[in-house]
Amino acid sequence: MERGKATGSTSLLSKKVKIEGEIQGNEDLHVEGHFKGSIKITGDIFIGPTGIVEADIEADNIIVQGQISGNVLARKQLQLQSSGRLLGDCSALTIDIKEGALFEGRSKMIRSSAESAGAKPGVK
Amino acid sequence: MGIFGKKDSGVKPPVVQAPAAVKAAPKSSQRNTTLETTYVGKNLTIKGTISGEGNIIILGSFEGKFDLKGRLKIAQGARIKGNVRATDIYVNGNVEGGIAGTEKVQLDNSARIKGGIMTPVISILEGAMFDGEIKMSDKTAQAPKPASPGPTQPPPDSADPNKKETVL
Repeated sequence: MERGKATGSTSLLSKKVKIEGEIQGNEDLHVEGHFKGSIKITGDIFIGPTGIVEADIEADNIIVQGQISGNVLARKQLQLQSSGRLLGDCSALTIDIKEGALFEGRSKMIRSSAESAGAKPGVK
Repeated sequence: MGIFGKKDSGVKPPVVQAPAAVKAAPKSSQRNTTLETTYVGKNLTIKGTISGEGNIIILGSFEGKFDLKGRLKIAQGARIKGNVRATDIYVNGNVEGGIAGTEKVQLDNSARIKGGIMTPVISILEGAMFDGEIKMSDKTAQAPKPASPGPTQPPPDSADPNKKETVL
Protein backbone atom coordinates (compact mmCIF):
# COMPACT_ATOMS: atom_id res chain seq x y z
CA MET A 1 0.00 0.00 0.00
CA GLU A 2 1.26 3.39 -0.91
CA ARG A 3 1.90 5.85 1.82
CA GLY A 4 2.03 9.57 1.37
CA LYS A 5 5.22 10.04 3.31
CA ALA A 6 8.16 7.87 4.07
CA THR A 7 9.04 9.78 7.21
CA GLY A 8 7.12 9.71 10.46
CA SER A 9 4.88 6.96 11.66
CA THR A 10 1.37 6.13 10.69
CA SER A 11 -1.23 5.47 13.29
CA LEU A 12 -3.78 2.84 12.49
CA LEU A 13 -7.33 2.34 13.58
CA SER A 14 -8.11 -1.24 12.63
CA LYS A 15 -11.29 -2.82 11.40
CA LYS A 16 -13.00 -4.05 14.52
CA VAL A 17 -12.13 -1.09 16.68
CA LYS A 18 -14.39 1.83 17.41
CA ILE A 19 -13.29 5.16 18.79
CA GLU A 20 -15.57 7.92 19.94
CA GLY A 21 -14.04 11.24 20.79
CA GLU A 22 -11.34 13.42 19.38
CA ILE A 23 -8.00 12.75 17.78
CA GLN A 24 -5.30 15.36 17.61
CA GLY A 25 -1.68 15.29 16.73
CA ASN A 26 1.12 15.38 14.32
CA GLU A 27 1.07 12.13 12.47
CA ASP A 28 -0.44 10.23 9.56
CA LEU A 29 -3.58 8.29 10.30
CA HIS A 30 -5.02 5.23 8.61
CA VAL A 31 -8.62 4.36 9.45
CA GLU A 32 -10.10 0.94 8.74
CA GLY A 33 -12.44 0.93 11.70
CA HIS A 34 -15.15 3.18 12.98
CA PHE A 35 -14.52 6.66 14.30
CA LYS A 36 -16.98 9.21 15.62
CA GLY A 37 -16.04 12.69 16.79
CA SER A 38 -13.44 15.04 15.41
CA ILE A 39 -10.01 14.64 13.89
CA LYS A 40 -7.47 17.41 13.65
CA ILE A 41 -4.01 16.34 12.60
CA THR A 42 -0.94 17.70 10.92
CA GLY A 43 -0.37 14.86 8.54
CA ASP A 44 -2.30 12.77 6.08
CA ILE A 45 -5.38 10.74 6.70
CA PHE A 46 -6.24 7.66 4.72
CA ILE A 47 -9.67 6.15 5.13
CA GLY A 48 -9.54 2.57 3.91
CA PRO A 49 -12.36 0.64 2.28
CA THR A 50 -13.74 -0.56 5.59
CA GLY A 51 -13.30 2.77 7.34
CA ILE A 52 -16.31 4.71 8.53
CA VAL A 53 -15.75 8.18 9.89
CA GLU A 54 -18.50 10.32 11.35
CA ALA A 55 -16.46 13.35 12.12
CA ASP A 56 -15.21 16.73 11.08
CA ILE A 57 -11.73 16.23 9.72
CA GLU A 58 -8.83 18.59 9.33
CA ALA A 59 -5.65 17.21 7.78
CA ASP A 60 -3.08 17.82 5.06
CA ASN A 61 -4.01 15.20 2.50
CA ILE A 62 -7.23 13.28 2.84
CA ILE A 63 -7.64 10.08 0.83
CA VAL A 64 -10.99 8.37 1.01
CA GLN A 65 -11.81 4.82 0.03
CA GLY A 66 -14.34 4.40 2.78
CA GLN A 67 -17.00 6.66 4.11
CA ILE A 68 -17.08 10.09 5.73
CA SER A 69 -20.06 11.84 7.22
CA GLY A 70 -18.94 15.27 8.26
CA ASN A 71 -17.13 18.33 7.10
CA VAL A 72 -13.66 18.02 5.73
CA LEU A 73 -10.77 20.44 5.44
CA ALA A 74 -7.77 19.31 3.43
CA ARG A 75 -4.87 21.72 3.64
CA LYS A 76 -3.48 20.12 0.51
CA GLN A 77 -5.51 17.57 -1.37
CA LEU A 78 -8.80 15.80 -0.96
CA GLN A 79 -8.92 12.58 -2.92
CA LEU A 80 -12.16 10.65 -3.20
CA GLN A 81 -11.41 7.29 -4.74
CA SER A 82 -13.99 5.26 -6.60
CA SER A 83 -15.24 3.44 -3.51
CA GLY A 84 -15.17 6.61 -1.42
CA ARG A 85 -18.21 8.39 -0.06
CA LEU A 86 -18.32 11.87 1.39
CA LEU A 87 -21.49 13.24 2.91
CA GLY A 88 -20.66 16.74 4.02
CA ASP A 89 -18.92 19.89 2.94
CA CYS A 90 -15.32 20.06 1.93
CA SER A 91 -12.63 22.70 1.67
CA ALA A 92 -9.43 21.81 -0.09
CA LEU A 93 -6.52 23.28 -1.95
CA THR A 94 -6.90 20.69 -4.70
CA ILE A 95 -9.58 18.13 -5.14
CA ASP A 96 -9.62 14.82 -6.96
CA ILE A 97 -12.81 12.81 -7.30
CA LYS A 98 -12.64 9.51 -9.12
CA GLU A 99 -15.49 8.08 -11.13
CA GLY A 100 -17.79 6.05 -8.91
CA ALA A 101 -17.22 8.16 -5.82
CA LEU A 102 -20.15 9.64 -3.99
CA PHE A 103 -20.08 13.24 -2.80
CA GLU A 104 -23.02 15.13 -1.39
CA GLY A 105 -22.29 18.57 -0.05
CA ARG A 106 -20.66 21.86 -0.82
CA SER A 107 -17.14 22.26 -2.02
CA LYS A 108 -14.94 25.26 -1.40
CA MET A 109 -11.48 25.70 -2.78
CA ILE A 110 -8.89 27.35 -0.61
CA ARG A 111 -6.28 29.43 -2.39
CA SER A 112 -3.18 28.65 -0.38
CA SER A 113 -2.29 26.39 2.47
CA ALA A 114 -1.62 29.47 4.61
CA GLU A 115 -5.23 30.52 4.21
CA SER A 116 -6.43 27.14 5.33
CA ALA A 117 -5.02 27.68 8.80
CA GLY A 118 -7.89 30.04 9.57
CA ALA A 119 -10.44 28.57 7.22
CA LYS A 120 -13.06 26.25 8.54
CA PRO A 121 -15.15 23.91 6.49
CA GLY A 122 -18.64 25.32 6.12
CA VAL A 123 -19.97 24.69 9.58
CA LYS A 124 -23.07 26.66 10.50
CA MET B 1 25.82 -58.67 -25.56
CA GLY B 2 22.28 -57.95 -24.49
CA ILE B 3 23.27 -58.21 -20.84
CA PHE B 4 24.65 -54.71 -20.79
CA GLY B 5 21.45 -53.18 -21.98
CA LYS B 6 20.08 -52.52 -18.46
CA LYS B 7 23.29 -51.58 -16.81
CA ASP B 8 22.71 -47.94 -15.97
CA SER B 9 19.08 -48.24 -14.81
CA GLY B 10 19.97 -48.50 -11.12
CA VAL B 11 21.46 -45.05 -10.75
CA LYS B 12 19.05 -42.25 -9.97
CA PRO B 13 20.16 -38.68 -10.21
CA PRO B 14 19.61 -36.98 -6.83
CA VAL B 15 16.69 -34.62 -7.02
CA VAL B 16 17.59 -31.39 -5.32
CA GLN B 17 14.99 -28.67 -5.45
CA ALA B 18 15.58 -25.39 -3.77
CA PRO B 19 12.56 -24.23 -1.76
CA ALA B 20 12.47 -20.92 -3.57
CA ALA B 21 8.87 -20.06 -2.91
CA VAL B 22 9.06 -20.42 0.86
CA LYS B 23 10.61 -17.09 1.65
CA ALA B 24 7.97 -14.96 0.01
CA ALA B 25 5.06 -16.32 2.01
CA PRO B 26 5.51 -14.84 5.51
CA LYS B 27 5.72 -11.28 4.27
CA SER B 28 2.18 -11.04 3.04
CA SER B 29 0.77 -12.59 6.18
CA GLN B 30 2.79 -10.17 8.24
CA ARG B 31 1.21 -7.28 6.42
CA ASN B 32 -2.21 -8.63 7.30
CA THR B 33 -1.44 -8.81 10.99
CA THR B 34 -0.11 -5.27 11.02
CA LEU B 35 -3.42 -4.07 9.62
CA GLU B 36 -5.17 -5.89 12.45
CA THR B 37 -3.31 -4.06 15.15
CA THR B 38 -4.48 -0.59 16.01
CA TYR B 39 -1.53 1.65 16.55
CA VAL B 40 -1.59 5.07 18.19
CA GLY B 41 1.65 6.85 17.43
CA LYS B 42 3.79 9.02 19.66
CA ASN B 43 2.49 12.29 18.34
CA LEU B 44 -1.17 11.49 18.59
CA THR B 45 -3.65 12.36 21.32
CA ILE B 46 -7.00 10.65 21.58
CA LYS B 47 -9.77 11.69 23.92
CA GLY B 48 -12.89 9.63 24.26
CA THR B 49 -13.84 5.99 24.17
CA ILE B 50 -12.10 3.12 22.45
CA SER B 51 -13.95 -0.15 22.11
CA GLY B 52 -13.96 -3.22 19.95
CA GLU B 53 -11.83 -6.25 19.24
CA GLY B 54 -8.22 -6.69 18.27
CA ASN B 55 -4.82 -5.67 19.47
CA ILE B 56 -3.89 -2.11 20.31
CA ILE B 57 -0.49 -0.54 20.77
CA ILE B 58 -0.35 2.92 22.29
CA LEU B 59 2.68 5.15 22.15
CA GLY B 60 0.88 8.46 22.36
CA SER B 61 -1.62 9.76 24.86
CA PHE B 62 -5.13 8.70 25.54
CA GLU B 63 -7.73 10.11 27.87
CA GLY B 64 -11.02 8.39 28.45
CA LYS B 65 -12.40 4.90 28.59
CA PHE B 66 -10.99 1.79 27.09
CA ASP B 67 -12.95 -1.40 26.58
CA LEU B 68 -11.25 -3.94 24.38
CA LYS B 69 -11.41 -7.62 23.58
CA GLY B 70 -7.80 -8.33 22.88
CA ARG B 71 -4.30 -7.38 23.85
CA LEU B 72 -3.45 -3.85 24.87
CA LYS B 73 0.13 -2.69 24.92
CA ILE B 74 0.92 0.63 26.54
CA ALA B 75 4.43 1.38 25.38
CA GLN B 76 7.14 3.36 27.10
CA GLY B 77 6.36 7.07 27.02
CA ALA B 78 2.65 6.58 26.47
CA ARG B 79 0.25 8.37 28.78
CA ILE B 80 -3.16 7.02 29.69
CA LYS B 81 -5.76 8.73 31.86
CA GLY B 82 -8.90 6.83 32.59
CA ASN B 83 -10.17 3.33 33.03
CA VAL B 84 -8.65 0.65 30.92
CA ARG B 85 -10.08 -2.77 30.36
CA ALA B 86 -8.84 -5.50 28.04
CA THR B 87 -8.18 -9.21 27.90
CA ASP B 88 -4.45 -8.95 28.24
CA ILE B 89 -2.69 -5.75 29.26
CA TYR B 90 0.99 -4.99 29.02
CA VAL B 91 2.11 -1.68 30.51
CA ASN B 92 5.42 0.04 30.06
CA GLY B 93 4.12 3.61 30.15
CA ASN B 94 2.13 5.88 32.43
CA VAL B 95 -1.37 5.04 33.52
CA GLU B 96 -3.59 7.08 35.79
CA GLY B 97 -6.77 5.17 36.46
CA GLY B 98 -8.09 1.68 36.83
CA ILE B 99 -6.73 -1.26 34.92
CA ALA B 100 -8.78 -4.40 34.47
CA GLY B 101 -7.31 -7.33 32.62
CA THR B 102 -9.61 -10.32 32.21
CA GLU B 103 -6.65 -12.65 31.61
CA LYS B 104 -3.50 -10.95 32.77
CA VAL B 105 -1.71 -7.70 33.50
CA GLN B 106 2.00 -7.23 33.05
CA LEU B 107 3.92 -4.21 34.32
CA ASP B 108 7.30 -3.75 32.74
CA ASN B 109 10.22 -1.91 34.25
CA SER B 110 9.32 1.59 33.17
CA ALA B 111 5.63 1.36 33.97
CA ARG B 112 4.16 4.10 36.14
CA ILE B 113 0.75 3.28 37.53
CA LYS B 114 -1.56 5.31 39.73
CA GLY B 115 -4.75 3.48 40.38
CA GLY B 116 -6.23 0.08 40.92
CA ILE B 117 -5.53 -3.13 39.08
CA MET B 118 -7.90 -6.02 38.79
CA THR B 119 -6.75 -9.23 37.17
CA PRO B 120 -6.41 -12.98 37.76
CA VAL B 121 -2.73 -13.04 36.76
CA ILE B 122 -0.23 -10.30 37.50
CA SER B 123 3.42 -9.79 36.76
CA ILE B 124 5.42 -6.78 37.92
CA LEU B 125 9.01 -6.31 36.87
CA GLU B 126 11.68 -4.61 38.92
CA GLY B 127 11.66 -0.89 38.28
CA ALA B 128 7.95 -0.54 37.79
CA MET B 129 6.20 2.04 39.95
CA PHE B 130 2.78 1.22 41.23
CA ASP B 131 0.67 3.40 43.50
CA GLY B 132 -2.61 1.78 44.28
CA GLU B 133 -4.11 -1.56 45.02
CA ILE B 134 -4.43 -4.85 43.28
CA LYS B 135 -7.43 -7.04 43.41
CA MET B 136 -6.96 -10.55 42.15
CA SER B 137 -10.09 -11.75 40.46
CA ASP B 138 -10.91 -15.39 39.95
CA LYS B 139 -9.63 -16.63 36.64
CA THR B 140 -12.81 -18.50 35.86
CA ALA B 141 -15.06 -15.59 36.75
CA GLN B 142 -16.20 -13.62 33.77
CA ALA B 143 -14.77 -10.14 33.47
CA PRO B 144 -15.46 -8.42 36.77
CA LYS B 145 -16.26 -4.79 36.27
CA PRO B 146 -14.07 -2.27 38.03
CA ALA B 147 -15.85 -0.19 40.65
CA SER B 148 -19.06 -2.20 40.63
CA PRO B 149 -19.14 -4.40 43.73
CA GLY B 150 -22.55 -5.87 42.91
CA PRO B 151 -23.05 -9.63 43.16
CA THR B 152 -22.06 -11.55 40.05
CA GLN B 153 -24.41 -14.46 40.57
CA PRO B 154 -26.18 -15.76 37.50
CA PRO B 155 -29.96 -15.84 37.52
CA PRO B 156 -31.22 -19.02 39.22
CA ASP B 157 -33.07 -20.20 36.08
CA SER B 158 -29.90 -20.62 34.10
CA ALA B 159 -28.20 -22.78 36.72
CA ASP B 160 -28.03 -26.51 36.19
CA PRO B 161 -30.44 -28.12 38.68
CA ASN B 162 -28.22 -31.19 39.04
CA LYS B 163 -25.20 -29.14 39.86
CA LYS B 164 -24.25 -29.04 43.50
CA GLU B 165 -23.95 -25.58 44.95
CA THR B 166 -20.62 -25.05 46.61
CA VAL B 167 -20.66 -22.76 49.57
CA LEU B 168 -17.37 -21.70 51.02
